[in-house]
Amino acid sequence: MNTSSTSTSTDWNALDNASFRATLREFFETRFPGEWRYPQRRLRWSEIGPWYLALSKKGWVAPSWPSQYGGMGLSPEKLIIFIEEQERWGVARAPDMGITMVGPLLINHGNEAQRAYYLPKIIAGEHIWCQGYSEPNSGSDLASLRTEAVVDGDDFIVNGQKTWTTLAQDATHIFLLVRTDKSAKKQEGISFLLADMKTPGITVRPIRNIAGSEDFCEVFLENVRVPRTSIVGELNKGWTIAKALLGFERIFLGSPKQSQYALARVQEAAQRLGLFEDTGFVDRYTKLALDVADLGALYGRFIEQVKRGETLGPDVSMLKLFATETYSRLADLLVDVVGASGALPGPIALPGGKTDALTTFYNARPATIYGGSNEVQRNILAASVLKLPS
Amino acid sequence: MPSSNPRLTHDTTHPIMTTTPDSERAEQLNMLRASALSFAAKESPVNRARALRRQTPGFERRFWNALAEQGWTGLLVPETMGGYEQGFAEMAEVVAALATQVAPEPVVPVLVFAGRLLAHTGATELSTRLLTELAEGRSLPAVAWQEDVTGTKDRTDQAATRLERQADALLLNGSKRHVRPGAGADGYIVSATGPGGLALVWVPADAAGLTVSSQPLADGSYVALLDFNNVRLPASHLLAEGPSAVAALTRAYDETLVLTSVELLALVRGMLAMTQDYLRTRIQFGKPIGTFQSLQHRAVDLLIQQELTASVVAQAVALLDDGDGDTTARSAMASRVKSRASDAGLQVAREAVQLHGAIGVTDEYDLGLYLQRALVLAAWLGNGTQQRRRYADLTRNATAQGHA
Repeated sequence: MNTSSTSTSTDWNALDNASFRATLREFFETRFPGEWRYPQRRLRWSEIGPWYLALSKKGWVAPSWPSQYGGMGLSPEKLIIFIEEQERWGVARAPDMGITMVGPLLINHGNEAQRAYYLPKIIAGEHIWCQGYSEPNSGSDLASLRTEAVVDGDDFIVNGQKTWTTLAQDATHIFLLVRTDKSAKKQEGISFLLADMKTPGITVRPIRNIAGSEDFCEVFLENVRVPRTSIVGELNKGWTIAKALLGFERIFLGSPKQSQYALARVQEAAQRLGLFEDTGFVDRYTKLALDVADLGALYGRFIEQVKRGETLGPDVSMLKLFATETYSRLADLLVDVVGASGALPGPIALPGGKTDALTTFYNARPATIYGGSNEVQRNILAASVLKLPS
Repeated sequence: MPSSNPRLTHDTTHPIMTTTPDSERAEQLNMLRASALSFAAKESPVNRARALRRQTPGFERRFWNALAEQGWTGLLVPETMGGYEQGFAEMAEVVAALATQVAPEPVVPVLVFAGRLLAHTGATELSTRLLTELAEGRSLPAVAWQEDVTGTKDRTDQAATRLERQADALLLNGSKRHVRPGAGADGYIVSATGPGGLALVWVPADAAGLTVSSQPLADGSYVALLDFNNVRLPASHLLAEGPSAVAALTRAYDETLVLTSVELLALVRGMLAMTQDYLRTRIQFGKPIGTFQSLQHRAVDLLIQQELTASVVAQAVALLDDGDGDTTARSAMASRVKSRASDAGLQVAREAVQLHGAIGVTDEYDLGLYLQRALVLAAWLGNGTQQRRRYADLTRNATAQGHA
């Protein structure tokens, strides 16, 4: 299995779970660069690109794609194992919008020419994608987006601005939701467009966040000429396609891994500070430890549902809520236990080792905002699960 | 004028076990759940619970006999002692169905705590007779092990109550608290420190020297304070002694924590269902109050607690049914689920009242019955904070070694 052509023909699903897990584990443990385990920020392409290419060479870069397109063709059960093993070893997330979004988009809604052109380049790591959804005035209310695409001969001319575009500065391509019919109801005049970032008129400006890193960007689109063939699916059907893309991968927004990792950091700091002798601390710590454990039980229930091949309902939103809010409470506790050092950025020298409190605190901030803010998720649960009136 | 109580619709779509690998058992559990829910709704309307409050003993022996006729008093009892030897998943369905109607019968204290304790003490002639009578619904034993007013100092491996041996007899001195059922019990399994360490002895309710003081609890049921003043018992009343007594009491206690959590989960479901109903129908400012986002978001937080509780309850019941596992792991799981269920029960109760407004604090509205039962069950055998301390103690070694 040294080349992608042989490994893509492997029927991974025929392998028993234990052997499959062992195969993954061996590769991750021996090949993943140690310095990038459990990263506390999104890694740039210059840092994590080599890992993407190593996965590509191995034939493992697109675990969820069908094997005919160069993926591993994993069943939901095997895909969960793949994610679990990555999480277990703290394997960093590479820029994966091409794998998680564009691939499924083109496989399900694209045409043959688009699949033939784009998919191999995603697999090879030649094309790195970013997601152009949010706009300065369209965040939670995404359907109100105003970036406009007007037909001009064989092209669309795109004007507008996207923002919170994760790692746009490293991307070669962008997929965009654009307005193609201003007269229709807001969800019904939106189309899905693909664009090369080198197209004249596209400008990227990284946004520096409060943690000091540049994870996301603004993307300005000024008279950007995009061929009409770059539309995915039908004109004005982009919203429907974007919604259909929200598959069972949503479950991973609610993975307990992030909280388990933060709990381990709290435990480590508390040990260094002798706090397990303090009953007040132990009470707070145990409450959070149980929140993390119980999050695991809730997560397990949804995972079982996916394994049985069932479609996830809107109730999966509760997982993202409890996962991110538990993570946030852990970050609060971490900052709290280091007391007067709680405003020191980066690793703090405690007796017996270093603890980084503020990075966790900063990471907890976007967690409750991205992927549909927790307030929007609560709206969804109120309407779809509790059936409260609107 | 307060609006009338909503008619609770009995949702049969929420099994206790979220995954049951054995499809035949899953089918049997579904049938049991359907029959228990329909029995409870028919035979135990919420108004029955309301009427029995503070009417000693706080429940109906007649209703207990009906449970026996269904075979439910013998669900957990070994077949050799006249029971059906079913699992905790089966017991949980019956417990949940009755709790949905806030039925006041002491099902968990008698059938789970006392019943399991008798089963774990080993088959003596006495324990066999007591279990057989329990399975038939003829006897209601209670467990008396706690002595501390807050329960914080109580442990399943020690007791201040003293047991002495005198020739062929046993002599018991001391006192016990927090005993449920607090009225109507036929006798007590009492923990005491004797010459052989911790002992478990059977004390009939009419034993000379035993004083039972019944006190009403928040839900109108009773809890008892027992006083033993030179209570003289035949030697055959010693059920277990030493490490086996500790193991039996600890195991029955853990099993009871899990089944009490099942009751709390049913109450949580009931209170949230009532609240959803109210939010949909109560009109203020010209629209249902459930349209207001601040109320919607508070209701969603209750939903999350309900589903967390349900997830942990399912795991805990499965762990009990797995049988002989690591006893520390079982105790940790029992404390974990009781912690979640107790806190969820109280949080949902408080919030349900607030979301209802003034009607929620009236005695004639059913929500109060659920809140008061939740208060009783959250406090019984250790509330959320106490269970978390036990969990921390049980898992301290694991924590010290790290679990990153």
